[in-house]
Amino acid sequence: MRLVHSRSHRIGLSVALAVVAVAALLVSVPVPARASPTLAAAPAQTSGGVTYTVTWNNVDVSSASTLSSALSIDLSQSANLNYNWTEGAGAAPVTISDARLQMYFLGFAVSTRDQILTNPVAGSGHIPLSWTPVSVAYLIEGAYRLTASFIAPNGTTMWSENFYVRGTAPYGFLAALPIVLLILVIYEVYGLVRSGRYAAIGRKLEGAPPSTPPPETPPSEPASAETPPSAPAPAETPEGTPPPTGGGS
Amino acid sequence: MSAASHGAGCGVVLGIVLVVLFQQFGYVNLSDLLPTIEYLLIGAVIGGILGALIGWALGRSYLSRHAADAAAGSSR
Repeated sequence: MRLVHSRSHRIGLSVALAVVAVAALLVSVPVPARASPTLAAAPAQTSGGVTYTVTWNNVDVSSASTLSSALSIDLSQSANLNYNWTEGAGAAPVTISDARLQMYFLGFAVSTRDQILTNPVAGSGHIPLSWTPVSVAYLIEGAYRLTASFIAPNGTTMWSENFYVRGTAPYGFLAALPIVLLILVIYEVYGLVRSGRYAAIGRKLEGAPPSTPPPETPPSEPASAETPPSAPAPAETPEGTPPPTGGGS
Repeated sequence: MSAASHGAGCGVVLGIVLVVLFQQFGYVNLSDLLPTIEYLLIGAVIGGILGALIGWALGRSYLSRHAADAAAGSSR
């Protein structure tokens, strides 16, 4: 019996080790998202004769339009973005007053950064924007979608572009959330392996006789036979006696 | 609780956790709500089915290896 128990214990331990090894492999394998973005000149984005470009540390964000080509960034390092717009010949003049950057997770903008021009003028221009991604860089890492937008003074979005970044924790530190998730995975796999044992326990419980109540101990004699153990009777006011009135003055 | 239901419970949690873990490692994009819900549901369903099958198989193998214990337990 002890041999079987140690054997199942050994199997559980080996499964847990295998899961850790697979997870470590996943972390160490170079993900396509980690590849440095291609520096090839992306086609300029033109809308209404105006060319819009956004660069992230001098890399055009249009080169990171898919998850597999996401920009690999350090979540604790600040990024320097540059919003440029150039009017073509014969294009209607545009006025940009706000450069906005938003980071999305589960459909919600978890971070928004605006750089607003106080005196916007019509014509070509550029807006620099410095942004430190998240302050909880040691907690979360992963792939996120960002949106860079050019906003007109009346609030209209003149142009926007989605791109992807893969944020890593500083100094290659494995962030807290993946560690917690890995522990959960190991625990659940261990629970799955132990499910056979649960089946045996459940079957034993089904076959076990109903539990008998423990033998009753004789009730101890009350200290005084005159005072019954029942609840004391509520104090009754004798009939005909008027209730006490409040003190009159 | 039977082995299959225990395995299904573990598998559902495992399927959901793996989807979030893949996002953390940069394999899955969870920026939009609707595909995220789909991924999580698919992970939970597939994990639950696989977990139930694995739990059922493990339960059978355990009982076959411990037939004497199970018989003693049921005759008690």
